[in-house]
Amino acid sequence: MSQEGSAGVDLGRGLTLPNCVGLASGTAGYGFELEQLIDINRLGALYTKGTTMHARDGNPPPRVAETGGGMLNSIGLQNPGVEAVAAGYTPRWRGWAIPIIVNVAGGSVDDYVHCVTVLEPVAEVAGIELNISCPNIAQGLDFGRDPDAAARLVAAVRKVTERCVIVKLSPNVTDIAAVARAVEDAGADAVSAVNTYIGRKIHRANGRSVLPLGTGGLSGPAIQPLALAAVAAVCDAVRIPVIGVGGIVDAASARDFLTVGASAIQVGTATFVNPETALQVLDGLRG
Amino acid sequence: MTADLSRAALETGEVLVVERLGGGLLELVARLPHLAATAMPGSFAQLRCGAGTTPLLRRPFSVAWTQDDTCGFVFEAVGVGTRLLSELQPGDPLDTLGPLGHGFTVVDGGSVICVSGGLGCAPFPLLINELRRRGVEDILVLNGARTATRLYPAERFARPAVPIVAEATDDGTRGHHGPVTELLGQALASKPRALYACGPNPMLGAVMRTLLESGAELPPTLEASLEAPMGCGFGTCLGCALPVRGEDGTSAWRLCCTDGPVMPMRDVDWDGLSALPGADVA
Repeated sequence: MSQEGSAGVDLGRGLTLPNCVGLASGTAGYGFELEQLIDINRLGALYTKGTTMHARDGNPPPRVAETGGGMLNSIGLQNPGVEAVAAGYTPRWRGWAIPIIVNVAGGSVDDYVHCVTVLEPVAEVAGIELNISCPNIAQGLDFGRDPDAAARLVAAVRKVTERCVIVKLSPNVTDIAAVARAVEDAGADAVSAVNTYIGRKIHRANGRSVLPLGTGGLSGPAIQPLALAAVAAVCDAVRIPVIGVGGIVDAASARDFLTVGASAIQVGTATFVNPETALQVLDGLRG
Repeated sequence: MTADLSRAALETGEVLVVERLGGGLLELVARLPHLAATAMPGSFAQLRCGAGTTPLLRRPFSVAWTQDDTCGFVFEAVGVGTRLLSELQPGDPLDTLGPLGHGFTVVDGGSVICVSGGLGCAPFPLLINELRRRGVEDILVLNGARTATRLYPAERFARPAVPIVAEATDDGTRGHHGPVTELLGQALASKPRALYACGPNPMLGAVMRTLLESGAELPPTLEASLEAPMGCGFGTCLGCALPVRGEDGTSAWRLCCTDGPVMPMRDVDWDGLSALPGADVA
């Protein structure tokens, strides 16, 4: 039996994932739908929907558009807000074996610090993933594109949590390794890469962009080679664990990320097509 | 609120036939024992179109009817996904996820009107079968399409006995010459207990407008099956938002896949819906 899918993954600060296969933020909600469809507790981690200080209604539709081997989304971080998650959702996670890592997004350092502070006393939260890479909201990329701003954010969050802090990096930058090094130096325990790529689709009948904001985030197997290059660059740049994500559809495409140095992986868009994909990846890695 | 997905399952069925009904309408019949046993009126299934990564996403289709261990789906080959489905041969596998979605509230008495526009016929045979099972016999189907060949055949709305089907075509090639909504006024005289509608979103908006302008009392059960570009179909991607009016009158989003596809027509923000751009079919 291969060790790839069986070994625990130590992300630091006492967080050891039971295995390396997780469900990516934005593709698994808060777990309550997938829990009904698959044996979610066999997986290594659930990275929740991006969660913000206040509830967000999300962007106007259409919010999704299919492209060759992929899809664009412009959801706009629809979520109930961190207070509702902490009060209403976390009790429902009690007894789950899968570690819950809450993905946190914001427009300012204070937004992130508030969210992480609210989540800090909640026992069911295993870790924090800082989303500095959402392409679909104003200021969503402000931190992800600027190594100094990203470092300041991580340092501020570091002061209010003892939990493992993972920083989710944007591929929409010139030098992703520079951002990775900056957040490592500022105290991040791990990084995940990559969030979606900015993309656009034109409605060929009328020449307008399909998505109402013009652009959206591209995900799916189309981005796997791009994500792999970015993750390899990040792995070369930092010593902290790297979680690879982007276009994984099966064990082979997941193993590519482990091959370039990632310690764990996340399955994203493929879950929409087949909710069992992450479990199939896990079984495939175990050989 | 989290959707109830307890009946949903992945199921690989076997294609029995893809029947050409005329006018481009297709009826796909497949052996799908789980879906056939668990689908409710208004349920949909996510069908995988081909085995590759383009098209990537499944396509949602109403479960048109069930019989023993088989299910029927009505569609048209308009994009790459539906073209692949149209080319399926008997014996081919069909990868499905379902049943999904919030379906119709099935009444158990009184008279019922079903308003269908084009492919909006799809959920009605299963609904009418269930209405009949509950003893509802006074069922009127108003079936509209662009032209005669695109009308779903009246005898397929229910088996064995056919409900009363009144037809309308935009070009007058069969039935009433004009939109199906022009048949509504007379139908409302029966003071229906329920009105169910399915069709393109603009047609559904016209149904609601006609109802309101008629001055007639609105049927107590007034529901429409809606559509939206969909990612997952089970409530995690949040891609299929539709505008509704909240209790305080403000606009809000609801998911077509889990809050719908069937929604109370009183709740839909029809102005907001009509302002949305048309579907991008590729």
